Amino acid sequence: MGRYLVRRLAQAALVVVGVVVLTFVIVRLLPGDPAAAYAGPRASPEDLARAREVLGLDKPVLVQLGMYMSGLVRGDWGTSLHTRLPVAHDLSIAFPASLELVGTALLFAVAIGIPMGLLAARYFGSPVDGGIRLGSMFVAAFPVFLLALIVQNLFATKLGWFPVAGEYDSKLDATSPLHLYTNITVVDALITGNWPIFLSTVHHLILPALVVAAYPIGVVTQMTRAAVSEESSLDHARLERALGFTPGQVLRRFSFRPSLNPILTLLALIFAYSLVNAFLVEAIFNWPGLGKYAVESIRSLDTAAVAGVTLIVALAYVLANLIVDIAQTFIDPRVRLS
Amino acid sequence: MTIIPPEELVPNDERFAFLTLARGRLRGQKLFAAGAIVLLIIIVMALLAPWITPYPQDAQGGVDPVNSLLAPSAQHWFGTDQVGRDVYTRVVFGARTSLLIVFSVLSLSVLIGVTLGVIAGYAGGWIRDVVMRVTDVFLAFPALLLSLALCIVLQPDLKTAILAITVTWWPWYTRLAAGVAASISGRAYMDAVRALGISPARAVFRHVLPNSLTPVIVQLSLDAGGIILTAAALSFLGLGAQEPTAEWGLMVSQGQDLFTTAYWVALFPGLAILVAAFAFNMLGEGMRTALDPRRGFTS
Amino acid sequence: MRGSKSRTLGAVIAVVTASSLLAACSGGAVKPSDSSANPSGSAAVNDTFVYAQNLEVVTDWDPATSYSNEGIVMPNVYETLTRYNPATQKVEPLLATAWQQSNGGKTWTFTLRDGVKFHDGAVLDAAMAKAALERTIKLKGGAAYIWGAVKTIDTPSANTLVFNLSYPAPIDLISSSSYGAYIYDEKAGGTADFKTFVATGKDGGSGPYTVSLWDKGHETEVKLAAYDGYWGGWTGTHYKNVEYRVVPEVTTAWQLLQSGQVSMVGRLNPQIFAQAQTTSGVATSVTSSFQNLLALYNTATGPMADVRVRKAVRDAIDYTGLVSALKGSVVEANGVVPKGLLGFNQNIVQKQNLVEAKALLAAAGYGPNGNKLSLTMTYAEGDADQQLFATLLTSSLQQLGVELKATPLQWSAQWDRGKSADTAKRQDIFVMYWYPDYADAYTWFINMFHSANPPFFNLAYWNNTVADKLIDSLPALTAVTPPLAQAAYTTLQKMIIDQDAVASVLYVQNYQRAYSSTVKNYVDNPAYPNVPFVYNMAPGA
Repeated sequence: MGRYLVRRLAQAALVVVGVVVLTFVIVRLLPGDPAAAYAGPRASPEDLARAREVLGLDKPVLVQLGMYMSGLVRGDWGTSLHTRLPVAHDLSIAFPASLELVGTALLFAVAIGIPMGLLAARYFGSPVDGGIRLGSMFVAAFPVFLLALIVQNLFATKLGWFPVAGEYDSKLDATSPLHLYTNITVVDALITGNWPIFLSTVHHLILPALVVAAYPIGVVTQMTRAAVSEESSLDHARLERALGFTPGQVLRRFSFRPSLNPILTLLALIFAYSLVNAFLVEAIFNWPGLGKYAVESIRSLDTAAVAGVTLIVALAYVLANLIVDIAQTFIDPRVRLS
Repeated sequence: MTIIPPEELVPNDERFAFLTLARGRLRGQKLFAAGAIVLLIIIVMALLAPWITPYPQDAQGGVDPVNSLLAPSAQHWFGTDQVGRDVYTRVVFGARTSLLIVFSVLSLSVLIGVTLGVIAGYAGGWIRDVVMRVTDVFLAFPALLLSLALCIVLQPDLKTAILAITVTWWPWYTRLAAGVAASISGRAYMDAVRALGISPARAVFRHVLPNSLTPVIVQLSLDAGGIILTAAALSFLGLGAQEPTAEWGLMVSQGQDLFTTAYWVALFPGLAILVAAFAFNMLGEGMRTALDPRRGFTS
Repeated sequence: MRGSKSRTLGAVIAVVTASSLLAACSGGAVKPSDSSANPSGSAAVNDTFVYAQNLEVVTDWDPATSYSNEGIVMPNVYETLTRYNPATQKVEPLLATAWQQSNGGKTWTFTLRDGVKFHDGAVLDAAMAKAALERTIKLKGGAAYIWGAVKTIDTPSANTLVFNLSYPAPIDLISSSSYGAYIYDEKAGGTADFKTFVATGKDGGSGPYTVSLWDKGHETEVKLAAYDGYWGGWTGTHYKNVEYRVVPEVTTAWQLLQSGQVSMVGRLNPQIFAQAQTTSGVATSVTSSFQNLLALYNTATGPMADVRVRKAVRDAIDYTGLVSALKGSVVEANGVVPKGLLGFNQNIVQKQNLVEAKALLAAAGYGPNGNKLSLTMTYAEGDADQQLFATLLTSSLQQLGVELKATPLQWSAQWDRGKSADTAKRQDIFVMYWYPDYADAYTWFINMFHSANPPFFNLAYWNNTVADKLIDSLPALTAVTPPLAQAAYTTLQKMIIDQDAVASVLYVQNYQRAYSSTVKNYVDNPAYPNVPFVYNMAPGA
């Protein structure tokens, strides 16, 4: 167990270093001269040279990489050109909002996808299975931006069931100000018992989270169906049925638990995918997350901010994978040994 | 004792696993059939685009601002866009762009990914470690994110989009192929091949590669839908194909502001993305089910 | 950042997501609430005016250097000596009650209003006005150039302000400028430097509202609250609170307006506006503006240094088609100066002429038998109208065998590329909006067509000594002999559009506003683009 953990951590660390190097390479390739941007619009050649020195652009590439890495470790992720604020600070505001959206979406994916997958596996090969399968493929094929437009127009504008956009009703700031601990509004509202903001945030969350969840629901359904039906075709399931368990009991008690592993692995993968997929949804629902920040950074050729977004998403992915791998060792001892 | 030629050491059913299995099981696969038929229609429409669209010039730079934003009618089945172009014409021509992207990305990714994977899987040892760690790094970036970053480094256009998606797609094939190659190269007949003194390169390309093909081909059709969605997302953000190219994602992004008033500008290209991605998904799923009916997700 | 004003009109997808106020809060502080607003919240609903726009609201809080999106907030917090009334085409009193010129337009004497108090309680006098203007002039930021003629400012009495000029200039008009002409209490921060003081979302103004919240990066970015001591008083119905909400997508903004969550949307697209015109509960207004869209051609380097290529592009533009596709939100332009300003000339007409364009290209050595011509163009990212122009021009040029690479960029990136020291990085065509700081056409010419090195806004890189001399003579001519100024403007516009093809004017914007029908007395003043003068409006049913 201990050896497995060490090996797994070392592997993750190696990937993180690689991610940083790759990000550095991309940022160095960006057009636009960081020195010119730093020195301002009316810079003289001397100003430019000074900016070059300050930013370390006159040093060898490897030294620059070293400076970049040590900066990251110290929490200095550079300064955004378009917000004129430290990137680390910008991300500390934007990332929690994205996390809130994607986290909720994954909850939906689990809450809808797994029961659907179990249902399909239970009636494997029947029309129910066929329908669920087709439906899951259909939602997974839906371009998320089109879905966002349709859902917003239908459920918010036409039917008025949900708010059109935003994170919560800003009028509530005056009546019930929110204490911030995690920067995740829904969590902060919950732990401080700020019910007006909590309810408003949940109400605002549902539509965008469902849109982001479409693809995860599709793949979680498919994965659950496949993993569970495979388990139930194995010998132990046959034995359990012979012992008098009903097919439903076999499914729930014996086949589902070993199927959790591939589903968890999948969730880690989907998490990172959805963070980026949410970029397209956040713009439409005016959600104050990473997507809005990323798009604005890209449009203003803001190298430090683009690097920051790239890094934080990649790191989130590596971390999610690590957590899932470790969690698996508790669910399924076989993993530890392999 | 006669020396048996190495080719005959390879079990037939494994070398041609894909074809054998496909022949046996695909016949009954409704999914595969449905996907294949829809795709066939899309491909035929794309090929015949100039002859089956009413205003082919609208996909090649023509504009007609006086007739902008006309609602769907007999003259314009899908209406017209902001500069008066026939949306139906552009949706049909858009199929060409999407198929071009899919086929380019897939062939480039397979070329790079499978080659590296097979080498890594066959060679093993430190070569395998290096290759696999590099793919791990690339896999840590969600496809769209790395493509986004690359698309702003390079001048955004169709070629850049293809390149950017390829960069994020090849590692999956490396991983897949390496796994298959490693399992095959450990088998008895590969030991025999080695014992016979056949060069590693020859061994890889004559024996390992064909055996890696089955899972790769299944993965290909499953990935095609994802590539269509990624390419559309890139152009939706303005980082893919540029005007006046008829590209579905770009068309949706241009119609986005009009969605409440002139829904047709965004809706029809959006539905085209959905249909194409869905068709590829059905094709891939059908194929996978045919090869391994109990498994429904990635191998 | 002058040009970023134009961004307020685009539908940029994203806004800044950072919050400096929240920076201090991430450890468990209280999120700033609106302390001066009605705390019960129930009565606050009706007297709160909510304005939705698609971009971050504030980039610079300093009234001296502010030159960007915050222009929609500033006139509600700060005041100028005079204000321009487009209906009468005259300047009217604001902080100054009367003024007169003497000495051939080289001396201007203003009488200040009595009983004006700043938000910190200080009472306005001539010395404070002088200190504010001198600080603005000294900082040289934003629109400070408008005071270029001012030599000295005198304060013969507590309510008399005298401007001594080095050449005649219309100071009454200049004082009404939407940027750079504010009178503020530069000691509002006490010992703190004024710039540092206002940078945190405080203000030193005398206007009807004071800043109560600045939540950078958040949807409701700015909140203003009524200033009880305002000299105009609060009798009658007025809005007591103002909110500025950042809503990047126009469809979202429109939905918020319909649901009553916002009171006014600065700009919709023509299709949604048409829908708004027939929607009950929503009122609309259309006003012809002083804002036009220009394409500046690179006269210095690249293929467009050849005047024939510039003329060919000018002739390739489908001006009529562009206006027709934008469905009433724009009108065709007659030259650089929009209608309603001195210098406007109806006889300057631009028309598409593809035959002529083809001949010009052939003469320049491009075409079927010559070289392949490829041009680059940059325009504002997220602005649907500019994108439409890009599509139309790409199409027209393609018919002529010319390839156009049109790149949408965020303003700072577009501008940086235009100003790039490496001329190879510069674009061939630069597209941007322009509108005047005060109701006068001089601003187009001094900024975009006067030579300047390194380039700033003269992104056509035009260097013409005859034109420079004419442009320099404009302020004095305008102040003393308007007919001669009119003639000079005509000469300049003929050079810029016809002879040298330095730029094309693509259209003049119509301001299309949609607002809740509960908003009464709204008047669009095109001299102050997109500004809701909230004090003058009244909440109704």
